[in-house]
Amino acid sequence: MLWENDIPCFIFVNGPSWVAGPRLNKAEKGTPVEEQLAELAAQVAALEAASGGSVTNTMFAETYYYLTIPLMIIIHAGFLAYEMGASRLKNVLSSGVKNILAFAFMIPTFYFFGWWIYFGFPTGIPGAAGPMGISGVEYANAIAWGWGDSAQYMGPNIADNISGVFFGAFALFACTTASIMSGAVIERIQTVGFIILAVVLGSFAWVVAAAWGWHADGWLVTKFGVHDFGAAGLVHAVAGFFALGVLINLGPRIGKFNADGSANHIPGHNMPLTVVGLMLIIVGFWGFLMACVVPPGEAWSWFPDKFATIYGTPITLGSLSFNILMGVAGGIIGAWLFTRDPFWMMSGALAGIISTASGLDIYFPAHAFVIAFSAGIILKPCADWLENRGIDDAVGAVTVHGTIGLYGLIMLGIWGAGFPALAIDNAPTISLVGQIVGAVVFFLLGFVPGYVVSLILKMLGMLRVPEGAEIAGMDAVKVPAAGYPEWGNDAPVTPAHPAE
Amino acid sequence: MFFPSDEANWAAIDGAMFIGWGSMLPGLMTFIAAVICVAVLVIGQRSEVAKAKAFDK
Repeated sequence: MLWENDIPCFIFVNGPSWVAGPRLNKAEKGTPVEEQLAELAAQVAALEAASGGSVTNTMFAETYYYLTIPLMIIIHAGFLAYEMGASRLKNVLSSGVKNILAFAFMIPTFYFFGWWIYFGFPTGIPGAAGPMGISGVEYANAIAWGWGDSAQYMGPNIADNISGVFFGAFALFACTTASIMSGAVIERIQTVGFIILAVVLGSFAWVVAAAWGWHADGWLVTKFGVHDFGAAGLVHAVAGFFALGVLINLGPRIGKFNADGSANHIPGHNMPLTVVGLMLIIVGFWGFLMACVVPPGEAWSWFPDKFATIYGTPITLGSLSFNILMGVAGGIIGAWLFTRDPFWMMSGALAGIISTASGLDIYFPAHAFVIAFSAGIILKPCADWLENRGIDDAVGAVTVHGTIGLYGLIMLGIWGAGFPALAIDNAPTISLVGQIVGAVVFFLLGFVPGYVVSLILKMLGMLRVPEGAEIAGMDAVKVPAAGYPEWGNDAPVTPAHPAE
Repeated sequence: MFFPSDEANWAAIDGAMFIGWGSMLPGLMTFIAAVICVAVLVIGQRSEVAKAKAFDK
């Protein structure tokens, strides 16, 4: 449309003849440039009015969010490959079943109550309304229940295109938390017990963390200036430490530890599948972090002309592009330095993103690289430390997501101190103390529910499979199919690393 | 501390918005990152050569 009437963008006015595109017609040649520009501006304004520029923006903004959903589903393809690869032959399909089923249960439970919790309790309990006017139980009752008047926003509605898209993106965050926990507990957990834990984590625990620390009315933000743009704490740390609480009650796999307490390495059946799975998670992370950004120009946007974080502070997609890439690179290089192991290198890539996630909007790229590099270096020692305390985390999820998530929060407290946490006058600012408060809250929101609910499940006999079933293999017990029916036995178990 | 304006308000920012803009920090971090890349390659080469030698006949 801009080329209508043969008048292109002004940079082509009187330009060289090789420039592609329409040219000014002869009658317009010789007209003063100022007049041409004024005419062009008037035509652009008329065209925008006639063609509905706001409709174009709406379509862009909604499609932007919509596309984060399939991108985030790639995270789950990655988790699926990674967990199945890390499982022994006898458990490969049951690990997949567990992962897929958790994904499926996250969606409806997040629909039933997770979405409501997110909007209901940013200011804490009992759920008073916050200053931005987008929180509180009354507000949540009006928009987030699947019944009564509220149901109009929880289903197809010509007057409300965006609610379902936002819901989808947030539901995928919930699925991600469940998948983080899922890898840690493979090869010995009961399916239903695991699903109950996944629902508690994905549709409750992390949602509370998000309401408190990932919402412009969240009390951690308004009172302490907590900033966690990419959810290092409220998704990764919550899920990682939830997994730790579960692992304490679940116990290690048979054969993981020797009588003297030293650990063995239980190799998965397919390292290449695991490594490719981790790379897919990285791909999906672009969607995850893309969904942490609010496009401009809509009634629900923070700015008419700028992308914003979920807190309403400015961000650019360039920030994400620079810093995610530098984070991935730094994490891989740091992990390679001391491990040379592709599993830990790709875990280092994740650690690189997670360690910088809180401040991906405001880090300088080289700064993100240095922080991610340090995360890649400390990753394996942190995982070994945990293992030497009798915790059998099959994929290092507690360390990669939990420990590194909190590390990232604290790093931002050190480097980002003084940045406004909201885009308002007299906004609270990021501080080390505030980030530490956030880290403690996120740790507790993960660990306590994970430990308590898994303890209850253990008492009910719903947590761990019987010893005989574990030795026979979970696939034989749970799945009417074989992963590799014509092929192979498990690899031998070997010492993991020197005991402390 | 490293907010790119004396006033802690996003309304005061209309350009670069990253940690340390206007200070030496970005340049310092770029230098450190470059040193890391070189150092890791040097260390990696040395250790890989040492391990490969163990397989020499």
